[in-house]
Amino acid sequence: MSAPNCLRCLTRPSTAVLRHSIAVPNAVASWTASAPFSTTATAAAGPTKGARPTSQPKRMETGHIRSGRRVTISKSKHRKQAGARGKTPLPGERKAYRKKIQLSNSNALHVHWLSDLDAKHMLDAANVTKVMGLPDALVDQLRAVEAFKPKQTWGFFRKPSTLIRPETVDLVTRMQQAATDKQTLKLVLDGDKLTGKSILMLQAMSHAFFNEWIVIHIPEAQELTTAVTEYAPIPGTDPVQYMQQNYALKLIQNIRKANEKVLVRMATAYSHPEIPQQMPIGSSLMQLANSAKEPENAWTIFMALWKELTANTRGRVPILFALDGLSHIMKVSDYRSPAFELIHSHDLALVRLFTDCLGGNISLPYGGAILAATTRNNVQRSLSMELAIAQREAEQLGAEKPLRQAYIRGYDHRVEAAMRAAQVIKVKGINKLEARSLMEYWAASGVLRTTVDELSVSEKWMLSGNGVLGEMERASLLTMRI
Amino acid sequence: MPPRLNVWSTCRALSIRSTQPVNQLAQPTIAARARCFSDRSIRTPSDKSSNQFKKLMAQKLKARAARAEAENPEQPEQPEQEEQIEEAAVEPEKEKNKEALRILQQVAYGINPADASIEGHKFGLPELPLPSDKHVKHRYDPIVDQMTRLLMEDGKLGKAQRDMAMILNYLRTSPPPRFNPSRPLVAGAPPAAHLPLNPVLYFSLAVETIAPLVGVLKFAGIAGGGKALEVPVPLPARKRRRIAFNWILETARKKPSKGSGRTMFAHRVAEEIVAVVEGRSTVWDKRHLAHRIATAARANLNHAKVKGLR
Repeated sequence: MSAPNCLRCLTRPSTAVLRHSIAVPNAVASWTASAPFSTTATAAAGPTKGARPTSQPKRMETGHIRSGRRVTISKSKHRKQAGARGKTPLPGERKAYRKKIQLSNSNALHVHWLSDLDAKHMLDAANVTKVMGLPDALVDQLRAVEAFKPKQTWGFFRKPSTLIRPETVDLVTRMQQAATDKQTLKLVLDGDKLTGKSILMLQAMSHAFFNEWIVIHIPEAQELTTAVTEYAPIPGTDPVQYMQQNYALKLIQNIRKANEKVLVRMATAYSHPEIPQQMPIGSSLMQLANSAKEPENAWTIFMALWKELTANTRGRVPILFALDGLSHIMKVSDYRSPAFELIHSHDLALVRLFTDCLGGNISLPYGGAILAATTRNNVQRSLSMELAIAQREAEQLGAEKPLRQAYIRGYDHRVEAAMRAAQVIKVKGINKLEARSLMEYWAASGVLRTTVDELSVSEKWMLSGNGVLGEMERASLLTMRI
Repeated sequence: MPPRLNVWSTCRALSIRSTQPVNQLAQPTIAARARCFSDRSIRTPSDKSSNQFKKLMAQKLKARAARAEAENPEQPEQPEQEEQIEEAAVEPEKEKNKEALRILQQVAYGINPADASIEGHKFGLPELPLPSDKHVKHRYDPIVDQMTRLLMEDGKLGKAQRDMAMILNYLRTSPPPRFNPSRPLVAGAPPAAHLPLNPVLYFSLAVETIAPLVGVLKFAGIAGGGKALEVPVPLPARKRRRIAFNWILETARKKPSKGSGRTMFAHRVAEEIVAVVEGRSTVWDKRHLAHRIATAARANLNHAKVKGLR
């Protein structure tokens, strides 16, 4: 049994005693409360002036006497007013507000010279430096695959439109060539922050939609590897792979919504005994995609869909498999195995599917493109990815390949294997001609309120680190000097 | 009338040498090189080889005299003399020729070579008087600038500026306001449709509209009985705006935020500004109250002790 009094301060009663004794004289309470180690000075000073008699026992209740006093200021600046707050937002509501994407601003002026993009425009080098609008049907498809990102500035203009850059023409021409040759284009878009890698991906997707390809897009690779999505081991795999059923369901729904027109036309070539629904050969792929209603079988259905899409039968079309945020899947993920070891990203089945495609282990019978964009925000460095990109670039230029540094650990052979077959496009800033065309579009929309002349163009171009697109937007649209 | 410039007369001064002259010391003074007193890293002719330079100058003078003789119409041109000149005229002459040709070319392009705004300036001279927004300290609209400082917390001006940009962008993308006739804006306000595309005007309109015209000055101990005497005073523009925006901020800070992330606070302020322009905001009541107090204190203007003060 423990002693009722604290052994170190036998002269003083413990809080347990104080709590039960109701009639404590004020003077005693005040000096016991304020003297953790020595009682002399306080006792000599006598009872504190102005101490409220009722507040003392209250303070005693909160903790041990030696825990000290806590000063509470009654009217704190940051104190929340409990009554004034009203209804709190439901779970997910705040995030939905933050991630809201607005694609049109009815205040912005209609740009009469803006023409809509079509299938041929992006293949023609004569259209470089032109700004072109995205047609409505395409916008719906792009929205379905989440090609628009929340921080991009679509919401300032009357309708979404995009600048045709030399990189666009280059990328789209390569894609077209690959589809003609029934080859798989494996390409990585790399570049500094805000140089427009995601927008290039969007343009590639637009090209794919125009030409009725199948588009599969993973908009944020970090959702796959930062342990925010549920995961489970796939039975019968060795080494163990992990599936992410919730994500797979979302992905199937996106694919279905965006590629409806194409999926309806295509018929299944295999019977799929592994999926719960009966799916006789010859039923449409749309039916197969529709059979995914709950996360339970989503991964099986996704794999069935993938098997159908890559089947070497009549009526299949090229596929664009795109992923934004490559750096996130080129590292060890934040997931843990049952043995509590970190899981490599390439052991997650969906990620592995992508890296196998990128590395050339899976080829698409009707051709297509495997497209990845690196990201420079919120990501740890992946040495092997950087090295692989530098090596591919050197190979393209015919220069000497950089090698691994001998005294640095942390290289990853799986990453290097995944990137050995990829081509690289280095996305850089736009030139002044493109900058001018873009600024003219901004000014015509009424969003940029300056004269667009050589001086203002070179000013913004220079402010944005020699034409880094996102920085140009920051310097001219997201500023308080309008 | 343009100056009479004969291209062929300059050709006289041309001296063509196939080989590079050895001595390159005596170069003409270019603008950057002229700062010889501030920058000793550049070797000026007077530094080391002043004797050589003097010799060169003497040669040049001789060459000039010889040329003057050569240009004399009475004497026919002699090839021997021409050779002498070529020998004498070294690098500086060649540079001068280049300069002359450059000037001629400019004249041909229709540019005045003596224009001070072009000569010696890479980007030309700025237009004068300097526009007010070209000054680094006054580059933003004065109202926007002052309100940004009021938005600032903990001295983080950069964050305040980002917030202000977000406020302006919210105004830009929100639908045009619907004016309330019982809450009129300041006189001369543009129609509502004009506001969103000019967010600075939208913002300043809200601040200027809500700004109280008068405040009360309190004179302690004059009213008697320990009370202060309240006397209405007109407020200066900056103070009026400050009071107005602080009211707006106060209301915005009390509002619950809908979303999360960096736009959270900025959007609340922007929503309040739209509410002010549409006449829905509670800030209007604060303004009315301030005016009522000042109106009630009008009688005190005739108080004997404050009569002569202003």
